[in-house]
Amino acid sequence: MSTQRPRRAVVTGIGVIAPNGLRADAYWKSVREGLGVLDRITREGCEHLPLRVAGEVRAFDAADLIEERFLVQTDRFSHFAMAATVLALDDAGLGAVDPEEAYDIGVVTAAGSGGGEFGQRELQKLWGQGSRFVGPYQSIAWFYAASTGQISIRGGFKGPCGVVASDEAGGLDAIAHAARGVRRGTAAMVVGAAEAPLAPYSMVCQLAYPELSTVEDPDRAYRPFTKGACGFVPAEGGAMLVVEDERRARDRGAAVRAVVAGHAATFTGASQWERSREGLAHAIRGALAEADCAPEEIDVVFADALGVPAADRAEALAIADALGAHGTRVPVTAPKTGIGRAYCGAPLLDTAAAVLAMEHGQIPPTPNVFDICHDLDVVTSNARPAELRTALILSRGLMGSNAALVVRRGGDLAR
Amino acid sequence: MTRRVAVTGIGVVAPGGTGAKAFWDLLAAGRTATRGITLFDPEGLRSRIAAECDFDPLEHGLDPELSRHADRYIQFAVVAAGEAVRDSGFDVGQENPWRVGVCLGSAVGGTTRLEHDYVLVSEGGRRWDVDHRTADPQLHLAFSPSTLASVVAAQFGAQGPVQTVSTGCTSGLDAVGYAFHTIEEGRADVCITGASDSPISPITMACFDAIKATSPNNDDPEHASRPFDANRNGFVMGEGAAVLVLEEYEHARARGAHIYCEIGGYATYGNAYHMTGLTSEGLEMSRAIDGTLDQARLDPTLIDYVNAHGSGTRQNDRHETAAVKQSLGEHAYKTPMSSIKSMVGHSLGAIGAIEVVACVLALKHQAVPPTANYETPDPECDLDYVPRTARPRKLRNVLSVGSGFGGFQSAVLLTGPGGRTR
Amino acid sequence: MITTEVTVDELAALMKKAAGITVDPKELAQSLDAPFGTLGLDSLALLGIVGELENRYSRPLPPDAERCKTPREFLDLVNDTLKAGA
Repeated sequence: MSTQRPRRAVVTGIGVIAPNGLRADAYWKSVREGLGVLDRITREGCEHLPLRVAGEVRAFDAADLIEERFLVQTDRFSHFAMAATVLALDDAGLGAVDPEEAYDIGVVTAAGSGGGEFGQRELQKLWGQGSRFVGPYQSIAWFYAASTGQISIRGGFKGPCGVVASDEAGGLDAIAHAARGVRRGTAAMVVGAAEAPLAPYSMVCQLAYPELSTVEDPDRAYRPFTKGACGFVPAEGGAMLVVEDERRARDRGAAVRAVVAGHAATFTGASQWERSREGLAHAIRGALAEADCAPEEIDVVFADALGVPAADRAEALAIADALGAHGTRVPVTAPKTGIGRAYCGAPLLDTAAAVLAMEHGQIPPTPNVFDICHDLDVVTSNARPAELRTALILSRGLMGSNAALVVRRGGDLAR
Repeated sequence: MTRRVAVTGIGVVAPGGTGAKAFWDLLAAGRTATRGITLFDPEGLRSRIAAECDFDPLEHGLDPELSRHADRYIQFAVVAAGEAVRDSGFDVGQENPWRVGVCLGSAVGGTTRLEHDYVLVSEGGRRWDVDHRTADPQLHLAFSPSTLASVVAAQFGAQGPVQTVSTGCTSGLDAVGYAFHTIEEGRADVCITGASDSPISPITMACFDAIKATSPNNDDPEHASRPFDANRNGFVMGEGAAVLVLEEYEHARARGAHIYCEIGGYATYGNAYHMTGLTSEGLEMSRAIDGTLDQARLDPTLIDYVNAHGSGTRQNDRHETAAVKQSLGEHAYKTPMSSIKSMVGHSLGAIGAIEVVACVLALKHQAVPPTANYETPDPECDLDYVPRTARPRKLRNVLSVGSGFGGFQSAVLLTGPGGRTR
Repeated sequence: MITTEVTVDELAALMKKAAGITVDPKELAQSLDAPFGTLGLDSLALLGIVGELENRYSRPLPPDAERCKTPREFLDLVNDTLKAGA
């Protein structure tokens, strides 16, 4: 009789729709090269707003991957999520779902602002023309559950379906939710987040964030950990992953890309950035404990990197608090400075980058960031070759949540 | 060892009365709180009725800042959470705040505020390129759904896992389910959970008009919500919030807390069928019920009451009747199943939590709330829907089920004293 | 007075607009008795088409319109209604 090892949740597929690349390989190439793609916002009706720079997903045609009947009834944020799902499933080698297995595959997304562009269009019809002009898809396109529902329907996935929200940190919470679902018995979860916040009214809402950067020079607008830190630049896009039971993945011969090893989340209050030091450190310790991981085992940190001086300081101190002396030695990176923060899509993009970095043995740089004013080893300018077995990904939400995720390289597992 | 999860506090803001007592009085009397919409002028809409809360935040002790600025659904949640926390006797100041979480559901979050301000910045819907200069400086709070859990966590000092859940009309059930898992898996010892929505606004009413999901019975609002009745014609919009304090069982015992009941199980599945449509077989909801009972290792014949989704659309009522028969077999015919949406309307994401609190109160009072307005049986729906009047009954294990746009099918099991019979 | 007849071509255009379904009007004319479901048109899409026509002609269509099962049934009902009200 053998003792059954607890089920382990592994990443077997990655799908990315990002401002700097429309597939995991294109995204990784841009991230590794430190390409900065922040640029003037070109979405219709946004030109006059005092937020000029963002990370836009350009040259994206959802119809390349998704049937038009799904596209007419969904917002851009769901287009991103559905397209990223197609890429992730393809990457994982998962084809059409076997009806026998439908209940074994679930879907969970993190929600940020929902279908804002679609919603604004319907609000305009309602208030400009009358209630009879509101279409039948408003009831299913604007709300936060739209992407999970459509992914489930399109893929035939009847497993546990969920939607979580904790602003940016919600992206890591979703990954943890999926991993727990796998540990509880679901064979695989399609998980991730994508956002499309660059519509006129959505941008007006974001202008209220005190942390938002409205600097008009793309190279200077988002520079965390430097003296030039002036807030964050928003972005659209995100990533979807396939998180799967390790044994099932091996049985079907899928490549195990990474292990979702540990996660924890805490709360320290909206815009209480000094207090986020304690909250983030607590989350890091919790994630390390769940992963059974010593601080010294962390080979790279993907930072939250908000770009607000008090928040950057809190994050640097939290890393030191939780990792001890190792905290000042461990390489830290924030590829999102080249693409902006896609709200809850951002930590999904970071997790994708972390998995790819471990696979390629290279730590990607932090674009536009050179003059570090904190006691951190931030990787700047060029990618740094390194043996990476374990990565720590950090995220904080603008409403006060803190989250940490530990992922381990897939190839290192005992077979 | 499996950690057990107890309910130690409840609070509710519902149409017809604020507070658990007023809420139960309404249910026990079989009174309906549906009426013509007063929150805005519904002229021109197909459905102009709703179950509204008569709610004065100041009267319920909400601090003046929140009373003035917070969205209505946030105010509901803070008031309901205050009642639940007081009821539980739980004092976060005496606890490790990192072990206290918040998990609250909402289907549409700050939509009502978003619409209100949209009208201002768009010159009444005339401009796509909206004018930011007239926007409320707090508008980001309506933009992000996580404001709900964040505000409640800040109010009550929770520093553990804080999350908002937004799975459409199962948000409330799923929030309770996630909170249950959070404690069971050891990520927190206490979790403030539940849900809130205030969706009675022109855009939300109009979007359900567009798919003819809501009842057009404008001339007789009191009798418009008719779940399982052959003459049903859609759901009646509602609003409100319900909050529960969930607590690890030994933690609750150690501080001498009153334990209402335990969360025995939770499961959710997707129907992968249609964003708004439901099958007539209800297999996925049945699967959720089965999963919930499996977790509790409970035989389906030990279910004493099913709190139905019962929205009052024909497809829902058939779907869930079939699902309950599939899971409970012959026992379904002996099990009362009622819908409180007949009285308090359908408050989207909030209703799942309101229904869980109704189940807690049903266990407490050992009585089944009725389905108001149920008069004409529908041959397609042949279970015992507890017509019009509440019914005393020995209750140990009660089940609350729900369906939501997006295909979500969820179930939560509550076990009262003496309910853990395998 | 403009004509109030909804043609097969217009229905095809509405199916594209409201449901994202590309259907050749000639083929649609050949398959007027095919259930909407086999054409990929679900209940929400049909509601969308009904709403579009109601707004275009500024008059309500009977509740049966959204329950029509085939293009022929739908076009007959819609055109009868529009003629009756003309």
